[in-house]
Amino acid sequence: MIRLYNVSKTYSKSRTKAVDDLTLEIKSGEIFGFLGPNGAGKSTTIKMLTGILAPDSGTIEIDGVNITDNPVAAKSLLGFVPDNHEIYDTLRGVEYLNFIGTMYGMSTEQLKQKIDLYADMFDMTEALPNMIGSYSHGMKQKLSVIAAVIHDPKVWVLDEPLTGLDPQSAYRLKQLMRTQADMGNTVFFSSHVIDVVEKVCDRIAIINHGKLVAVDTLDNIRADSSVSLESLFLTVTSDGEHK
Amino acid sequence: MKKYLALVKLLFIQQFKMTFNKKRASDAQSAKEGKRRAGAAAVIVLLALCLAPLLVSLAVAMYYMGKLSGGNVYLGTFLTLLCQGLVLMFGVHSIMSNVFVVRDADRLLYLPVKYHVIFLAKLTVAYLNELLTSAVSLAVVLIPFGIGANVGVGFYLMLPIALLLIPMLPMLVGTLISMPLSALVAAFGKNSAIKTILRIVIYVLIMALYMYLMYGFGFLTGSENGNILDNPEVYINDILVAMTNKLQNVMPYFHPNYMLMSSMLAAGFLNWLVGFIAALGENIALLGLVMLVSLPFYRKMLTMSVEEGGAAPKHSANRYKVKNKGIVREFILTDIKRTLRDAQVGFQSFAGIIMMPLIVVILYFFTGLSDSGDTSFLELMSIEPLYQVIAPLVILAYMTFLGCSTNVLGIYPISRENRALYVLKSLPVSFNKILLAKVLLATAVMVTSDFVSCVLIVALFGIEWYYGLAMLITMALIGFGSMCITTVLDLKQPRIGWDNFNQGLKNARNSWIAMLIALLCVFSVVLISAPFAVLYGVTNGWYFVLCMWLADLVLGVVFAVVSYKIMSSKATKYFVRIEV
Repeated sequence: MIRLYNVSKTYSKSRTKAVDDLTLEIKSGEIFGFLGPNGAGKSTTIKMLTGILAPDSGTIEIDGVNITDNPVAAKSLLGFVPDNHEIYDTLRGVEYLNFIGTMYGMSTEQLKQKIDLYADMFDMTEALPNMIGSYSHGMKQKLSVIAAVIHDPKVWVLDEPLTGLDPQSAYRLKQLMRTQADMGNTVFFSSHVIDVVEKVCDRIAIINHGKLVAVDTLDNIRADSSVSLESLFLTVTSDGEHK
Repeated sequence: MKKYLALVKLLFIQQFKMTFNKKRASDAQSAKEGKRRAGAAAVIVLLALCLAPLLVSLAVAMYYMGKLSGGNVYLGTFLTLLCQGLVLMFGVHSIMSNVFVVRDADRLLYLPVKYHVIFLAKLTVAYLNELLTSAVSLAVVLIPFGIGANVGVGFYLMLPIALLLIPMLPMLVGTLISMPLSALVAAFGKNSAIKTILRIVIYVLIMALYMYLMYGFGFLTGSENGNILDNPEVYINDILVAMTNKLQNVMPYFHPNYMLMSSMLAAGFLNWLVGFIAALGENIALLGLVMLVSLPFYRKMLTMSVEEGGAAPKHSANRYKVKNKGIVREFILTDIKRTLRDAQVGFQSFAGIIMMPLIVVILYFFTGLSDSGDTSFLELMSIEPLYQVIAPLVILAYMTFLGCSTNVLGIYPISRENRALYVLKSLPVSFNKILLAKVLLATAVMVTSDFVSCVLIVALFGIEWYYGLAMLITMALIGFGSMCITTVLDLKQPRIGWDNFNQGLKNARNSWIAMLIALLCVFSVVLISAPFAVLYGVTNGWYFVLCMWLADLVLGVVFAVVSYKIMSSKATKYFVRIEV
């Protein structure tokens, strides 16, 4: 599970808080959707969650392990799909997966087995021996997804994971997310596509101007039939509402 | 014209964008930035002070050349060629990577701008970069030559023109050389590692050709009236006369340079004007010719660069192999693959392996060969009793400086990661282990180069093998220490977000700091060794030589250990602080 307590972050080149006193708790076996307009603080939160950025204040725990105090142990529980596609262009797909697997302490056998499994699932077997630089946007995204899941992480963090994916791959990814959650793992993902969030997530949070503005289960949202997730999103993220 | 200027501005500013981007910040951050800039300025001043003896020596040599030759126009033309050789050596790769290795095609092709405007803008930016080398070469070569020759005002009036014209020929030659080379490199398809190796080999060949030409022009001509130790003035004068005789047959073929120098050294206004107009006109004509020839080629490279993606797989499925080789080993192997397959980073990182041994060979050509069967400078020196003590030290100092200051694997271990740095930051591996892998790779590359150089030094310069071994170990230790320090510095202030590694590198602070650290290492070695060398010279006791090398080795061990500890203690703090 993931816990964020009063987490804040201001970038060194900025005066405004990218994330302001954020507190969240995401349970095991849950698919958690993280919504927000551009520049709301979604990616910053995810970067702090994965140990890429250090929070200015507050604590972040991954399955009970504090990521600031014990980053290596916390990161070994995580799988991360970034929103950019700046992966190692001059490596072959399989070399990148080998590299990632080694870093997560996987044995050669496990690596081979998992790569075969996920490459087949995402139709990447033919492409793996090629240079990442020659991949399309969607192929890079699929490689990132495979790299994030091969070591069976307890917590899977995905930043805009469906961008650039073809419908088949998007469907498989959503299935995989559900499988992971059903196995008792936590799936935390951000997206702009409200329909997808509505279909896939058990619970959602909306962030705006670095502050958490709404957290609820989809069942509760659906209980009030007059309020769709889209209208809720538009209402709570409008500037007037924020003020 | 407006589009051309806008493009030049955009491409030129892109090189410095990371510096410019740091402006908007709070007061505290501004103060921090101010301190950082002051630190950078201090580094440059200190570095200039350290390099001053070398540059002053060269300037003094040029002064005497001017004085002894009386401002000979052929010798002057030769010196402009020497300056241009420097610009060419530092510029060819810049042209190849900036102009013909197209990485920004997808951002340029959709613009409503003609191909030739883009090409001219890129060429202009490369030219502007080379102006700095041109200015330095003018300051240490041509100006002292002119002062020595006691030339008139016309010479000084022409200096700004010379500054602008000197990079022209190297730029044009560089462009012409780059075309077949780029085509050759492109012919190797998608094998990026072979491309990088090919680039390095080509660069070495160009350097060797340049040295051969210098040799052919009579730079190494001997004297028939004794040797340099007996009568240095006569020796140098003889060389100058012989050189001038050879140069007067060759230099007029380099007509734009010859006319430029004729103008600079002209006695009358008419000669000055004729030379000026001819030099200017010929350079412009050459530029036009090169544009005409190279534009279709650039257009082809631009188109090719956007057609590279989406190629059919070369390998059949299931042919890939995976293996867990351990974290540090996997890091090093992955880093080697990534570096070698990247055209720009690979060249900068691995060229040193060939460069340093090549310089040893060139040094041997300059000192170990004589033209007319006379005793060579090297032979004269090697019979001196102090040769086996001083020569290894001098070479050690030189190689340490070169190795530590040019090894970009160690100078930019973090900046090299660029926008993919987040991958390292998200891995469940301690930062110390990541950095150790990077420093070990940088040191291994340096030691490989050092090893080949030491073998060559023992073989060509007659240095005893055990001194060669002592040099190698000392260099490896100092190299490791230096890589640790430069790694910490890069970690503290990495340059992330570059598009062109060469441009990012040229203007980066770390290069200067690495040079300064290398110089400080060299000074430390010299300071520690000098008393023992003097004592050996006075007493002839072999144990002083032993003590000297032991002291150097201890210095190397201490430096390596202290540097590693500094890196280990700072790594996590700085790594966590990086915002990507």
